[in-house]
Amino acid sequence: MSKLKSKSLLFKLYGLMPLIILFISVLNEFDFNYLNLKYFSFNFPFILIFFFTLKDFKHFDYLLVFIAGLINDTVVGLPLGISSLSYILICIATSYIRNITIRPNPIKDWFYFLFIICLISSINYSILSLFFSYNLELNSFLINIFFTFIFYIAFVSIFKYYIKSLND
Amino acid sequence: MAESRDDFIIAIRSAFLKKSTKQKFSLLTLALFSVLIISLSSFDFKIIRYLKIGINEFVYRSSFIVSIPENFIKNSFFEVKSYTSFFKDYKKNKDELESLKSNYISNEIIQFENIELKELINDYVSSSDKILAKIIVDHDSPYLKSIIINKGSKDNIRIGTPIYDQSYLVGRVIEVNYKTSRVLLLSDLNSNVPATIAPQNIQAIITGSGDYYGEIKYTKEKIDHEFSDKSIIYTSGTGAIFKSGIPIGKLKTKENVTNKNFVEFFSDFSQLKYVFAEIETRSPVINLDKELNEINFSNLDTTLETKLNILEDEIKIIDESNLKFKEENEKLKGELNFLKSNISRMKNKIFIQKKKIDQFDVDKDEIIFLKLNLEHGHKCRKSFLNNKGFEINTPEYRNCVISKEINNE
Repeated sequence: MSKLKSKSLLFKLYGLMPLIILFISVLNEFDFNYLNLKYFSFNFPFILIFFFTLKDFKHFDYLLVFIAGLINDTVVGLPLGISSLSYILICIATSYIRNITIRPNPIKDWFYFLFIICLISSINYSILSLFFSYNLELNSFLINIFFTFIFYIAFVSIFKYYIKSLND
Repeated sequence: MAESRDDFIIAIRSAFLKKSTKQKFSLLTLALFSVLIISLSSFDFKIIRYLKIGINEFVYRSSFIVSIPENFIKNSFFEVKSYTSFFKDYKKNKDELESLKSNYISNEIIQFENIELKELINDYVSSSDKILAKIIVDHDSPYLKSIIINKGSKDNIRIGTPIYDQSYLVGRVIEVNYKTSRVLLLSDLNSNVPATIAPQNIQAIITGSGDYYGEIKYTKEKIDHEFSDKSIIYTSGTGAIFKSGIPIGKLKTKENVTNKNFVEFFSDFSQLKYVFAEIETRSPVINLDKELNEINFSNLDTTLETKLNILEDEIKIIDESNLKFKEENEKLKGELNFLKSNISRMKNKIFIQKKKIDQFDVDKDEIIFLKLNLEHGHKCRKSFLNNKGFEINTPEYRNCVISKEINNE
């Protein structure tokens, strides 16, 4: 009986894995600072949120995504609410694409993802420079978008494998 | 056409408002809530400030705990790297330590002179304490180059408090919580530091580049040629943001980039583990004129006493430096004696060698003569048949033998 209970608890934890990873990533920022790679950064939470909200993953609560955004802002040092807005905009975009798509196509999703991260980065850049007078380097934004776009496909294959294992 | 527009509106409405059974809030609510938070955070309301401090405290601590595995990997990587250059670093550090020791005493004298001069112009005397702070979060973000330290308003940290790595400037505090603070690094794009470039004595502003170096801005035009790679940059104290004379970095001119000078910071921001926060307390200096007018002898006594104390301290430092110079003198004298004895030993050696060379020359001549003697001796020797000859071992005999050889040649 206790074995069954612990098994179900483990399964529950396994189901919550994307959310746990999301919170670890926003608290940890997944930086590659110590590797001394000069032009390398990507936004892992964007990939994670886009994929799992697109798949309408049952444990992916929007409120928790919103809180993850607040934590990210605190860790990175951005004005509170910027990342939350970005994450919620991703959720809105994925919700819209889910409504209009009949037959999902990974390549279409990939380019739609590029469009969304470009839009969100533009909004972020505009808010930070216009309302908060931040000096920002456009190059770092472009590099971040590029690598986030490139890594999307790699992470999607891992996430698909995860969903498959969960369904099995 | 109208139908597709309707579909679009329906899809948008559904995306914004529809929430599945598991979702507690619609996306529109959360988006509006985000906008509200952004707007509120731009205003400095007291409640929001406290709320933010609370969130910061919690999140920074959580981030520190979550980052433990990453930091462990990072530290291991750097430790392995440092072991490879351990001996080289040790030798370099030893040399640096020697030169720093000699600079230390002169610096102390300058500091005391500075205090005395400040008192003379009735400025405030700032006494500062440096407290050690641990870096709990140092994530490299493309937006902001900052670190979070484990000292906050509880430890008298204020906005603008300068942060040091040893005695090198690292940045200043931009956000203070109860037990944590955020430090904006000098490398951040939003960091501006009034600085002096020595030895040219040029005033400039050092701004961050978003990378691990700084840029020199707002200098007088056409003075770039005056800069050299040996130029040192330190805070000028202008604008009372930082104290004057805090070392920042070295000037670096990039070959490929024209009309741009870069600052190589003394401190490596990616390697910071602990930093020092300088807490400053300002106490006004007693105005001497006022005191004289009031003829308050007791206060005058204390002022004089303070001055005397400073002078005594100065004498103490001078004595110390004298002692050091004496020691150095003795050491040099010893070295000089040793060198002198070395020289005399060498001279003796040279004299003996010269003697040997002379002897060798003599022997060589003798051998040549003996050789010639064998050849021409019978022609020069006095005998029964040769009346014109000479006695053996006389100079005439010798000359005769040599002249015979010359004639043959």
